[in-house]
Amino acid sequence: MKTSKQILLLMVTAAAVTINVGHPLRLSAQDSTAKSSSESSKSSSQQWSVQVDKVDPGEVNLEPSFQVAIYEDLFDELSKTKRFKQVLRDGDRNAGEVSDLLILKTTVEKYTAGSETKRAVTTVSGATKLTVRSQLCTRDGGIILELTINGNVRFMGSNLRATHNLARNVAKAIKQSPLPEPSHSASHAAIDSDQVVLVELR
Amino acid sequence: MHRIAVAPSRKTLSSFWKAHGALTLLILLIACTAAASAEDSSQPKTSPFSIRVTHLLGFAGAPTNANGTLTIEADALQFQKSGKSVVQVRIGSIQNISLGDQSKQVGGLPMTLGKAAVPFGGGRAVSLFAHKKYDTLTLEYLDADSGVHGAIFQLNQGQGETLKSELVAKGAHVRDGNDNTKESAAEVSSENK
Repeated sequence: MKTSKQILLLMVTAAAVTINVGHPLRLSAQDSTAKSSSESSKSSSQQWSVQVDKVDPGEVNLEPSFQVAIYEDLFDELSKTKRFKQVLRDGDRNAGEVSDLLILKTTVEKYTAGSETKRAVTTVSGATKLTVRSQLCTRDGGIILELTINGNVRFMGSNLRATHNLARNVAKAIKQSPLPEPSHSASHAAIDSDQVVLVELR
Repeated sequence: MHRIAVAPSRKTLSSFWKAHGALTLLILLIACTAAASAEDSSQPKTSPFSIRVTHLLGFAGAPTNANGTLTIEADALQFQKSGKSVVQVRIGSIQNISLGDQSKQVGGLPMTLGKAAVPFGGGRAVSLFAHKKYDTLTLEYLDADSGVHGAIFQLNQGQGETLKSELVAKGAHVRDGNDNTKESAAEVSSENK
């Protein structure tokens, strides 16, 4: 009886030791796997550089201040994401030397001019609304990511705040979207339409 | 009839010469002033053009939403926030200038808090009178690497046109089709109504 109790105790202790030793190992293994996968995705995307093109107003009569504000805010927000090795401006002569370069093209699709005074007085009207289509393209024009993003100001803030919100949404969507590995084929040949990631934020 | 010829006294003579001298001096003074002013107008003004603005965004090195002075000094456009160092761009690198307008609430945070404190939604009525119209000046310029930058400044109403013409006179470029900016903006807003 006593012997069986000792054996049982021994077995329980052995089981506890096995669980305690094995579980953290497994956890640490999982952690390291997750870490390495996130690092690999981060490092792969960080091999890309991006050049922000000037905003194309499309067929919308967009005020020049809004075009400039979207462009500048996009540049700032993309720099903040740290997803890209370099963030370059439109026309930057250093872009020619960058090997894995993506070009961010932004076209305005809709624009509703708002009024800060109207918003302050009525609360429900006077919102400034912007909708843009952003495309991440390779040098050859192959699209690897296409986004349709909104940026609005409904209650507080100046009209130009819409551009800040818009740029933040674009940067967030790009940060969360998977990008292909920069390779010779990816950066120098047009990519199949099946590989294009379409993101629509409403 | 007896005529008595009286010789002019020495006192009268000296006062005449004094008055004559003063008149001569006055004429000389007027002539000198006129000549000096003519010289001034013939020479170009050397004092730099300076204006109080709010930098909204984009001027490289300047903090956003900062009040400061925008100065045209020789061939450079400089912005200086009070107590901070000057940031500048070459006027020749400016590729486009466009004007716009916007209305903004005056009074800042105290006004916002005051409006919120007014009972029965009276703050909204205050909002009607707490907004002021401003001009906006949008610049597009190139940096040393030919990268495109954009900057937006907010000025008091009516000052935008003055600054734009000063910059154009100093060699800034303006693309065609910027004159209808306000018109097009008005069209957009009317479409939305």
